[in-house]
Amino acid sequence: MTITKNTYLNINKYVLGAAIAFYVFGISFTKMVHPGLFFVFAAGFFCLFHERYFIGRLKLAAHVWLIPIFITAITFPLVIEQTLVADAEEITMSTTATVVVLITLLLAAVPFALFMIGRSEEQPSKKPRLRIVSVRIVVQIAIYIIWLAVSAYGYIRYPDAEEGRPDLLFWGMFHVFSVAILPYLFGRVLCSWMCPNATMQDALFKNMNHQRLPVPKMIDEQSHVKAMAIAGKADAAAPYLPFTLLLVWFIGFNIETIWDLTPKIWWPFICFMVLLMTASVLFPWRKICTHLCWLSGYRCLSAHNSMWRIRYNRSKCKQCKVCQAEKACPFYIDIRNQHNEMPATCCLCFSCMEACPFDGVITFRRDPEDRKRINTELEGTAA
Amino acid sequence: METTHTTPLAKWARFMEIIIPAYMFGKSWSIADEKTVDLFRAEFPPFLIDLAEYLKGLAGAGHDSPLGRFYASYAGAIIGIGIVVILAMVMHLIMRDRKFIDSLRFTSVTLLPLAILNGTLSHVMKTLLKNVSAATATEEALTQAAYTTPMNQSMMFFLFYITALWFMGRRTGLPRKKRIAVVIVGVAFIGVYIGAGLLITPSEWSVLLPKLMQSVSAAQ
Repeated sequence: MTITKNTYLNINKYVLGAAIAFYVFGISFTKMVHPGLFFVFAAGFFCLFHERYFIGRLKLAAHVWLIPIFITAITFPLVIEQTLVADAEEITMSTTATVVVLITLLLAAVPFALFMIGRSEEQPSKKPRLRIVSVRIVVQIAIYIIWLAVSAYGYIRYPDAEEGRPDLLFWGMFHVFSVAILPYLFGRVLCSWMCPNATMQDALFKNMNHQRLPVPKMIDEQSHVKAMAIAGKADAAAPYLPFTLLLVWFIGFNIETIWDLTPKIWWPFICFMVLLMTASVLFPWRKICTHLCWLSGYRCLSAHNSMWRIRYNRSKCKQCKVCQAEKACPFYIDIRNQHNEMPATCCLCFSCMEACPFDGVITFRRDPEDRKRINTELEGTAA
Repeated sequence: METTHTTPLAKWARFMEIIIPAYMFGKSWSIADEKTVDLFRAEFPPFLIDLAEYLKGLAGAGHDSPLGRFYASYAGAIIGIGIVVILAMVMHLIMRDRKFIDSLRFTSVTLLPLAILNGTLSHVMKTLLKNVSAATATEEALTQAAYTTPMNQSMMFFLFYITALWFMGRRTGLPRKKRIAVVIVGVAFIGVYIGAGLLITPSEWSVLLPKLMQSVSAAQ
């Protein structure tokens, strides 16, 4: 059995540097296409010409490149419209933008075509994909495309407006669901089902094997075994969320309040998301989400109160370590140390359930045997 | 079973888990400005708004400068922390199975739905006149925005507060009887909060609505 994290993409630091430079150009000097697209495009396209690439997953990789093509296609009429209505001076600017859009479209189509006609190497057999994971991937991609589409549309159509932008509506709904409703029902679903950066990391960044920046030990160890231990009775004092995650949120929220950024929040959100993507490429997979994401802190705290979590039936666990933190879990949870369910840091990605080679260990419903054990530990109380 | 926490940042994580919900719970009471303070007095318990305004006055905090907004948000946060500590004392007396700091953490984390409710209500009050533009500011629209919608939203958050108490209690090993007692305290707390003046009452609304309509007319 192979876990998809073992499939790598080679990329060297010069290529990555070039991609980031291209991205900085996009965010700083171009207001015609959402800057995040530049990064997506650049990071992927440059590494296409470098050694092994998405071994065995060419068709999947190809579809990543449909996203920039799709966005470019839907925003192109807007650019044309602006060209038609603009005065002479602005026509020059819009013509430049049109060229940029067309080049983006053409270049993005090249990797798609190459991937589709490419041949993959033989792969070890994989465990069949869980249906819930397939559903998650579809939801992730759908939200990602909506985010890109509304951001690009808002960016082009309302470059200076602070109200009435479709991307503001997107972020409004994003907050309603990710702050006020979903954490209390299911926990931290934001970080695997909704977040555009998570989608980018899962779809592209985790398959890169370039040199990553080290995370300071004091920060990194917050997400390792002892810090993440959780259990029924032991949970009276545990688990703690990473301090850095909460601190980043607290500082960010104070900045937002003190500088009264709420009415202008569209701009920080665009900057924040693309900067988050940059940082996510530089650090190991999901380390930014685990320790330093501003969006994640408060929502993760709310997840303590969730009504439902993925069940872990300890009595059936063979301690085989296949699901262990570094291999399957994006948040580095040591599942074998849990008591009866996943901790608040779990993002409900179901990777552990997919990775587990045994039936009935990680499940949707609690195993009757484990239910009995928990009830006994709660001194005869009903489950 | 590993139950100890050896990471150097764990105690700071505990601190943040207590402070963040309490801060969010109280902050909403102190962000009213001159235009919206009457609305805030109607929406929230008036004595909390007055107390927050008093603390803001001590610091000389206004809403025009970043420093003023900093003082203002922390004036409410201090009151919020105070209320959480008092509620935690009651919870601690009921649970009696953990240190006070853990009872405080339990109380604070489970209070998050009410903190979000406060934030939502204060946002509605702050943006009421702005969002209901002059052209569409009918009596029905104002009633919907300031009275009906917050009432419905608060029901959802009250429900989440109750479920949070139940599930957090279960995860922290609280026996069933004590969990029920904790939920009863939570319901009582909601009752006290509403009794003290949370949400606009029909009588308050009958006074506020003409004022709001007047301000909309003046804007036109």
